[in-house]
Amino acid sequence: MRFSLILLTISSALAQDAGATHDDWPHYGGTQFSWRYSALDQINTSNIKSLTPAWLFQTGDYAENLQATPIVVDGVMYLITARARVFALDAATGREIWRYQSPEVPRNVPGFVGSRGLAVSDGKVFFGTKDNYMVALDQKTGRQLWKVNIDDARQCGCNITAAPLVVKDKIIVGGTGGDGAHRGYITAFYTKNGRLAWRWYVIPSPGEKGNETWKGDSWKFGGGSPWLTGSYDPALNLLYWGTGNAAADFYDAERVPAGSDKTKDVNLYTASVVALDPDTGKLRWHHQEVPDDVWDYDSAYEVLLMDREIRGRLRQVLVHMNKSGLTSVLDRATGEFLGAFSVPEVRTWIAGITEDGKLVGRNEPQLGKTTTICPSAAGAKSWNSMAYSPRTGFLYVPVNELCNDITPNNRAAEEGKNYMNGEFPVKLAADRTTFSHVDAWDPVTGKRAWTLPYKYVLLASMLATAGDLVFTGNPEGEFFAMDAKTGSRLWSYQTGAGHRGAAVSYAVNGRQFIATATGWHSSVVGAAASALFPDQEWRLGSTLVVFALPEASR
Amino acid sequence: MKRLLAVLTLAASCSAQNVADVVRQGEQVFAKTCATGYCHGVKGTSSGAPRLAGRGFDQAYIANVVRSGVPDTGMASFTTRLSRPELIAVVAYVATLNGIANPTLGPADAEATVSTGRALTGDAARGADLFKEAVRGFGRCSTCHELGGFGIPVAAPISKVPGSVAALKMLTTPSVKTAALDGESMPVLVLSDGKQGPVFYDLTSAPPVQRNAAPGSVKFMDGSQWRHSSAISAYNDSELTAILAYLRAVIKP
Repeated sequence: MRFSLILLTISSALAQDAGATHDDWPHYGGTQFSWRYSALDQINTSNIKSLTPAWLFQTGDYAENLQATPIVVDGVMYLITARARVFALDAATGREIWRYQSPEVPRNVPGFVGSRGLAVSDGKVFFGTKDNYMVALDQKTGRQLWKVNIDDARQCGCNITAAPLVVKDKIIVGGTGGDGAHRGYITAFYTKNGRLAWRWYVIPSPGEKGNETWKGDSWKFGGGSPWLTGSYDPALNLLYWGTGNAAADFYDAERVPAGSDKTKDVNLYTASVVALDPDTGKLRWHHQEVPDDVWDYDSAYEVLLMDREIRGRLRQVLVHMNKSGLTSVLDRATGEFLGAFSVPEVRTWIAGITEDGKLVGRNEPQLGKTTTICPSAAGAKSWNSMAYSPRTGFLYVPVNELCNDITPNNRAAEEGKNYMNGEFPVKLAADRTTFSHVDAWDPVTGKRAWTLPYKYVLLASMLATAGDLVFTGNPEGEFFAMDAKTGSRLWSYQTGAGHRGAAVSYAVNGRQFIATATGWHSSVVGAAASALFPDQEWRLGSTLVVFALPEASR
Repeated sequence: MKRLLAVLTLAASCSAQNVADVVRQGEQVFAKTCATGYCHGVKGTSSGAPRLAGRGFDQAYIANVVRSGVPDTGMASFTTRLSRPELIAVVAYVATLNGIANPTLGPADAEATVSTGRALTGDAARGADLFKEAVRGFGRCSTCHELGGFGIPVAAPISKVPGSVAALKMLTTPSVKTAALDGESMPVLVLSDGKQGPVFYDLTSAPPVQRNAAPGSVKFMDGSQWRHSSAISAYNDSELTAILAYLRAVIKP
């Protein structure tokens, strides 16, 4: 007994350490545990007032904005723009080391323009493109080494906007397309030569377990695309990924078998968090957060891995937020449900959730009728990531209070074409003067520790640091820092363009830097949000802005 | 004014005279745009870029390449470089170089191609679906062949259709070579082997991977263990029969 306690303590210490970044920012989510937390504390609550720009980098690609999370390895920063221009920069000065330009994608290729990041490993830089290529560059020179097509974008209506995740000798990537008539998947390639290692389809084919949760042939075009980046636990050798919504989004009559029990496992494995064997791509366990999703509530978001004491027992947990703001806490070894909490203040899609995780009082849009659903399909949180600090034990979450008026229709599926089956104009939640807030949530108690309201929307990722600071940006262009314990706003800097990207922290030669992508827009949620506040003119841009303490003061 | 005239010409009914005029206009566009420098040469007889005359291309394929370009080659998309009438004219002209005496003067875009696909019936229609059927993953024809506006153009355009399923299975692939790289031997399709180093597709497993190697790092040998029959092994004979019917319907010899 004592022995096992010691083991647990050790594994806890390992997990806490594995979750934090140090001098480097090696992965999209910081580490493979996706905390977006830096152990650096040179910049902290006592000296934050002195934080000042050190350098900035103009990408010159204004196609959408700069959404990417930069990667920093050994003093070199790797950055990708919306149209897959890739740069290697001296992370201390911003000096360009090399650049790479992806070939122009033909205009008839459908899909989103945008890139949320790249991955660096095995002497290579990896990223996906709008026309569905996975590309590997030489980390030292930027020279292209291999590229491989994962699907014809013109047929599937899918492409790659997510950062891929490196796990051992493989580069693993999800795709978009889950709002179209498409069957989503995660694909793994060998980093060495680009050869296919495995592909896992979100939706099982006939004969596979889970296919019985689909009506007729609807599994072929049932969506579920896992369009963001997963996490990895090396000790358990498990890969975790969130999957997208079922398609058609707002109309379920063609995909749900008659008599289905909507409290568990309908249209598997959409709107779920799954654990896969990274060596084979085989499913180990799943937890479906929204059985029979009819609200466009993807579960594609980031998966945070941490060790926490729950009801007196130290557990290896996983924290995962669905687009509805419903946040699950699971045992990440087994998938056991440990608890859930809901973050938005305005919620009309369900009445509540039972202790064992079942949805209660589903408010389903009906064919030919208009139903106001909150939070909106833009998400209680959008795809931008939350952060987690092991010092406070809090999750830091940017929450939006928007709604949709959803009117479903029953259009037939057409491969690769939009299959949302509904009109869903976004509107502001009623009777409010502020429409977003940064929250601190304790994932163990499911309680909100503090909240900082903001009048418009928040669509940039969060960064937490050991200096007890939390950073993010807003559409007005302010990049700001909060006290991680209290939520009080300590510092801000006007970067001149709205924020829809991510901030990271790293150090070069003992100097800590905070770098943030800037640039508003984004063709879906950013555009919708701009339309809600017509008197505002939030500036576009595509600039990386990097802050540090003045050399003299540190 | 010239452009306005061209539009008016196209708007008029497609009499034989109009076709001849448009093809003549296409020849002029070709001469100053496509035949130049290191590209396709006078009347498409090849200079630095591939020969375009007498290749058995169908018009949908020509339109698609002009529209989309060919990834990682000098062949760019011309949709923004040429006006719409110029695009239609140049596609019609290249079609005549491929034995199509009366090219269509329709819109040179995907819609035209797709509607051709939809007009197919019976086995050919089924073959068109099978060619790119999504549930087959990387085991479908479109993993390596582009046709009718869909698929990845790893292989050169299909110009000759095998007469039978048996012939399809026996298909020889002399362009597939064997490469020795990093102590490994692999079947490859070479795209180029210039000063920048060789560029080739590694065909070891599907999907093919385009590799860019350092100059002098790869040794190529003729012949390979690669077999087209293995690449199509996920299809049964009835399905292959349908696919051949599709190819015969859209690829004109």
